[in-house]
Amino acid sequence: MRVLPRKRPREEATGGWYPRWYWPGFALPGSLWILLLFVLPFYVVVSIAFGTVDPVFQSPLPVYEPWWWTSRYLLEEWHFVTGEFRAVELRTLAYVVLATAICLVIAYAVAYYVARFGGKRKGLFLVLLIAPFFISYLMRMLSWVELLQPNGYVNSVLTFLHITPHPINWLAGVPFTVVLGLVYGYVPYMILPLYGFLDRIDQSHLEAGRDLGANPFWTFVRVTLPLSKPAILASLVIVTLPMFGDYYTNNLLSGSPKTTMFGNLLDNAMEATGQGPEAAVLVLFLVVFLMIPMLYYMRETAKAQRNQ
Amino acid sequence: MTRRELLKRSAAASLALPGAAAFLDACAKPGTASSSAHANGPGMGSYWPAGSPYPLARQDSPVTWKLWRDPIKPGLAPEKGATLQIYNWADYIWLKVVRQFCKAYNCKYQITTFNNMDEGLAKMRTGQLQFDAFMGVTPDILGKLITGKLLQPLNHSYIPHLASDVWETYQNPFYDQRWHYTVPYTTYTTGIGYRRDLIPDAQIRGMSNPYEIFWDTKFNGKIGIYDDYREAISMALLKNGITDLNTGNQKYINQAQKTLISLINAVNVRASINGVYIGIPKGTFDIHQSWSGDIVAAWQYTPVQNMKTWQTLGYWFPANRKGAVFNDTVTIPANAQNPVLAHHFLDWMMTYQNAMLNFTWNGYQPPQRQADPATLTTTKSYYGEPYVFPWLSDAVVHESDFHTGHFQEELTPQVDQLWHNAWQAFNSA
Repeated sequence: MRVLPRKRPREEATGGWYPRWYWPGFALPGSLWILLLFVLPFYVVVSIAFGTVDPVFQSPLPVYEPWWWTSRYLLEEWHFVTGEFRAVELRTLAYVVLATAICLVIAYAVAYYVARFGGKRKGLFLVLLIAPFFISYLMRMLSWVELLQPNGYVNSVLTFLHITPHPINWLAGVPFTVVLGLVYGYVPYMILPLYGFLDRIDQSHLEAGRDLGANPFWTFVRVTLPLSKPAILASLVIVTLPMFGDYYTNNLLSGSPKTTMFGNLLDNAMEATGQGPEAAVLVLFLVVFLMIPMLYYMRETAKAQRNQ
Repeated sequence: MTRRELLKRSAAASLALPGAAAFLDACAKPGTASSSAHANGPGMGSYWPAGSPYPLARQDSPVTWKLWRDPIKPGLAPEKGATLQIYNWADYIWLKVVRQFCKAYNCKYQITTFNNMDEGLAKMRTGQLQFDAFMGVTPDILGKLITGKLLQPLNHSYIPHLASDVWETYQNPFYDQRWHYTVPYTTYTTGIGYRRDLIPDAQIRGMSNPYEIFWDTKFNGKIGIYDDYREAISMALLKNGITDLNTGNQKYINQAQKTLISLINAVNVRASINGVYIGIPKGTFDIHQSWSGDIVAAWQYTPVQNMKTWQTLGYWFPANRKGAVFNDTVTIPANAQNPVLAHHFLDWMMTYQNAMLNFTWNGYQPPQRQADPATLTTTKSYYGEPYVFPWLSDAVVHESDFHTGHFQEELTPQVDQLWHNAWQAFNSA
């Protein structure tokens, strides 16, 4: 009997023969992208953090050879990060957690409504959801600056309705204003991924829940919510990571040291002559801190995939 | 070793050693400055702190910068069909003045802007951008620009109006003796801008220490300082009676830091950069640390354009003129493509008529002899209003201010770090 040569696994899977590099090759554009736009720039940041400054211009001078690296700036900033900056770090954490929680409530409600009850108007709703992206973040914040002025529309309405006897100085370092700004600025980024996921939930799952006796509330709690957990996590990551580095929301809506966020410290260091390495070190500290939610997200995503 | 071998090896060594030195230099730790004697430095001045690659200019220690190359030859014709490349702060020159220049010299113009001096310097350093005029250069970065050979020396024969029209002080400024590289652009003081409808002039002028008005709790939430570490700390120093605005004294800086931090709890102070010309007219701020040029131009930003609203703008500067004073300069970059045209442009800006036209729009006073501070509040500008409203007379800069006032000058990196730390402490308080 003639023995046929055994098919190699990739032939079995694809029905044809491809060179060994064929499938891994598809990862090449993405890998190059990450290399050029993440790994290399990140190495430059590290090289600045462990580098020095130009003796004449005082501009940051990245040191690419690790054997010349100095921990001087790292130690200096560590002293500040564990001491003087503590209040700012805690404040930033509080603002971000609060703003993210509000974002989640608003975004989930909006996304759920559009996905479940949008009907024929889904397209219109989607356009409306994307509409804020047509206007720059800066412009949207500046419009709030106008609205929240002592003689702006917000105060006019509040005093007209006798909710407050005098205009409130919303822009005078009020934490509520900064959190509101963060929510307003970032909520569209949360709605879209949530909508994308909720829209794809199989209706039969919900019907099964109801068939088993759950009312709409418990169907939502026991079926929709657990199913949408990966989308919630993804949208939280999308929103919280940039929020931690945000500085312009506070700059525009407050400007008071009472509401300084970590991003403002970074910005101050970036703007100042001779402070480039300090700014880079602060970036590294922020990256290390942000690895915690990122790792949690990756773990949860991996767990969800295993369960599937 | 034979004599021939010895000669060969000596010759090889003589060739190899400079190369080896260059190689070792290349392998040296980046950012380490080679030590050079002061005599070989880029300039001469009596205040040359250890480690500094150039002398630092002070009012009592002027600096003469060496000519690192020859200026352009005299008597050359301006470049024909050129585009004058101007590099300037955003909104710091009236386009009308530039257009008139281009009409007179048959050229085009292009303006590129920067938002702070660091950004301006960083773009210049790339060498890729070829500007003809670098405007609004603060004297505290001249050392860097000249040591880095980024500026070209000026040929005075093209700029006769500096001698004829500009204050005597700038015929030989302390930061650039014999004006080898700079001409003055604008002058200004830092004082206090306020709402006159809320704070009568007599009140602030009658205070024994008017800087204390920043701590007046009546104006809680409506008090601002500049979002600039030098300006903010300088104000705190002056409030504390320290007049050296370049101090490296740790004790004074710590005191200034505490003074600034106390502002947060007292009045919820805010830091802004446009709080004077936008915030005060709008009512966002009642009191704000103010550059004289900002308050002079602020009338253009009042929500209603009439005399009544313009009269709400007030400015205080010490009556004895012992406050913070400054000037900006104009320079020509080393790689300017139209250096002759650029020289003519500098002269254009030194001419009384053009300088005053620019003043009308940007509010920052040029150091013109004919712009008598006593008459600036009565002489009508292009807009038909006085150059400076009479109730803002404190904002008029006098030539004598540059003898009595206090200049912010370049700090050594070590002192600069102390100032930065104090500013960060304020921001994170």
